[in-house]
Amino acid sequence: MRKQFKRDINSLKDIFIFLDEFVVHHKLDESVSFVLQLAVEEIFTNMVKYDVQNAHAIDISLSKDADQVVIELLNPDVESFDIHKAKEYDPSRPLQDREPGGVGIHLVKKFINKIEYDYKDGISKITLIKYLEKPHV
Amino acid sequence: MFEIKVNEAGDILLSGRFDASQVGYANQFFDKVIKSTIVDFKELDYISSAGLSVLLVTQKRLSEKNQQLKLMNMNRHIQDVFRYAGFDKIFTIE
Repeated sequence: MRKQFKRDINSLKDIFIFLDEFVVHHKLDESVSFVLQLAVEEIFTNMVKYDVQNAHAIDISLSKDADQVVIELLNPDVESFDIHKAKEYDPSRPLQDREPGGVGIHLVKKFINKIEYDYKDGISKITLIKYLEKPHV
Repeated sequence: MFEIKVNEAGDILLSGRFDASQVGYANQFFDKVIKSTIVDFKELDYISSAGLSVLLVTQKRLSEKNQQLKLMNMNRHIQDVFRYAGFDKIFTIE
């Protein structure tokens, strides 16, 4: 499944519908559904936040095989920013030292099994891979 | 759909999906919280980092007056989000 979404936080509603259709079609469980929603929201909102003036839509594709779900987000006409080089988030900081922001990418790294980054011809591609647990027999 | 309600005891009840598109609505509400308050997550299905940020800002502001948000009835996915973010260390979670 593949679809383009306007670069706007209010696109999240349509993105969640798109994800729900994928989850229902592939009979994925609620744990996987939660992870897909969280990971896609965090990456998409980052893409929106850091390129507000960009008029290009963001392309999201979803696929599944026996062992994993693969999500690709294509962000055209942007500078390269490797998600692996994002500032490390420290979850042990006391309340007074914390500021909003920075936790989204950390959560994606915690919930998603594999993250790949590619950049070519001004297009940033983030690939998120979530391994699926085999059903108990 | 995301909703914030207050019950007769003054507890805040969250329901639905607390995502980045709901931050404006949530801030309008939480900015008015000025004392220790229970936040009930029983009907909340989902929260992202945007929702965490709203709660963090509120908790920091309240802590300056020795007040706090107490969170309860989270589903296991939301518990994971709080644990991975280290928010289980800065909130009382029941």
